[in-house]
Amino acid sequence: MNLVLQTLVSTVVQGSMLALITIGMSLVYGTLRVLNMAQGVMVMVGGMAAYLAVDGLGVSPWVSIIFAMLATFVLGMATYGIGVSKLIGRAGVDFEMTAFISTFAIASIVQSVIQLIYGPRQKNFPVLIEGRLTLVPGVSITWHQVLTAAIAIVALLLLGLFLTKSRYGLAIVAVAQNLDAARLMGIPARQAYVLTMGLAAALAGLAGVLLAPVYFVSPTMGDLPLLQALIVAIFAGLGSTKGTIIAAYIIGFVQSAVSIFWSSTYALPVLYVLIVVVLIARPYGIAGKPQEARL
Amino acid sequence: MLQIEDVVAGYGATTVVQGISLEVEGGSCGVLVGPNGHGKTTLLRVISGLLKARSGRITFDGDDITRLRAEKIVERGLIHIPQGDLVFPDMTVEENLILGAFTKAASKRAKSRLEEVYEIFPRLNERKDQRSRTLSGGERRMLALGRGLMGDAKLIMIDEPSLGLAPVIVDEVYRQIRRITESGLTVLLVEENFSRAQTLADRIHLVENGVVVRSGGADDVLDDKTVRETYLGVSE
Repeated sequence: MNLVLQTLVSTVVQGSMLALITIGMSLVYGTLRVLNMAQGVMVMVGGMAAYLAVDGLGVSPWVSIIFAMLATFVLGMATYGIGVSKLIGRAGVDFEMTAFISTFAIASIVQSVIQLIYGPRQKNFPVLIEGRLTLVPGVSITWHQVLTAAIAIVALLLLGLFLTKSRYGLAIVAVAQNLDAARLMGIPARQAYVLTMGLAAALAGLAGVLLAPVYFVSPTMGDLPLLQALIVAIFAGLGSTKGTIIAAYIIGFVQSAVSIFWSSTYALPVLYVLIVVVLIARPYGIAGKPQEARL
Repeated sequence: MLQIEDVVAGYGATTVVQGISLEVEGGSCGVLVGPNGHGKTTLLRVISGLLKARSGRITFDGDDITRLRAEKIVERGLIHIPQGDLVFPDMTVEENLILGAFTKAASKRAKSRLEEVYEIFPRLNERKDQRSRTLSGGERRMLALGRGLMGDAKLIMIDEPSLGLAPVIVDEVYRQIRRITESGLTVLLVEENFSRAQTLADRIHLVENGVVVRSGGADDVLDDKTVRETYLGVSE
């Protein structure tokens, strides 16, 4: 019974975190049709910016969240400006493929530069809040995990409000649903693109701060999150934000259940098997729509 | 109000619009007629900034708009209602309409505009909370028209409003377009059906192979013997 409870708690924590990292990826794919391979590096840059703010400037880990989100927001917009904007509308260029490669290139460059400057060593980062919460005798959870889930859920709710209620959020949704129609309403598509990529990066940056105490800050701390985000995004159906949230909790559950009832060593391999099965049975994911074949 | 001078445009290696010149006067209704695939839709896409002109010049209200981005052209009050109901499928009817008033100037008047649009299209009012993907073809067309009216339009371009609709629905849509032209709004319409064009047009421009082969008053053009023989299959 305790194990079941432990699994459920872990599912909520991991699922919320996965949703936070992947939602940006889905938003970017839905709006720009770019599979953004820089999403993992944004997690790392977020963690790194927070570490530098705490270690160098001496601010509290809470304040460092602002530094992390600002740094990644700017870097996300720069990724659009450098790696994506010049590819849009080019005749004779397979946009999806070239943008996929160019975001991957930017991710590698950022990772290498960070490693050159700050070295490969793992750096400790303080938790936002100390202590453990005992749910029932034998099942406890750190307050940091509680906070991680809470912050992720709040961030997702705020994102939802932004997309459905605000002028710029609606612009992003409109561009995602029909680009030409959006432009004919006077919606500046390029501004919507820049904002989407900045926002996606900032959400990853926030995730980076929350992950930092658990996984430590290092140039490679974004590798696993990128892999997980890809699995969630494909499972959800690329570009579907609702699907992403459902998929994140399902993947979170599988990961937690395998880790708790079997061994955490097998969590990732089991996910790979799951994703292969999904790709065979439903290649467009649980919430995606079948794509028209391209000639 | 709108002058088009020798505009050339196309896609990739294909040139579709091969040097079109025409003028739409303020308060009038101009209609582009002509067979499918001869450049009418492409011309509208160039005017609204979705497609760049290769050469030529477009002036609107006295200003050169040839190189402006689509959103800047919308801000000036030139609204394009595209072919094929480009509505936002996962938004409600009302959300679609509100987005029609996206520009800063138009968004201030969105509330009163919404009332006006619901008055012209009562069907949209009934369906306002429904997702637009669930609308019928005719309702979607009305939504596209209504959304165009939400902007601060001085001139509205409507691409083939009758395409793919049942005749009885076309009649309804055309009654609504007539209300739009009678309200004094300048209109540039694309229509393949000659008799429908004739009922609305002040001027007709016959487009063939990417050029305007005839321009004139509706009756002049359509009563022309060669035009009647070629397009209406009437011989006298």
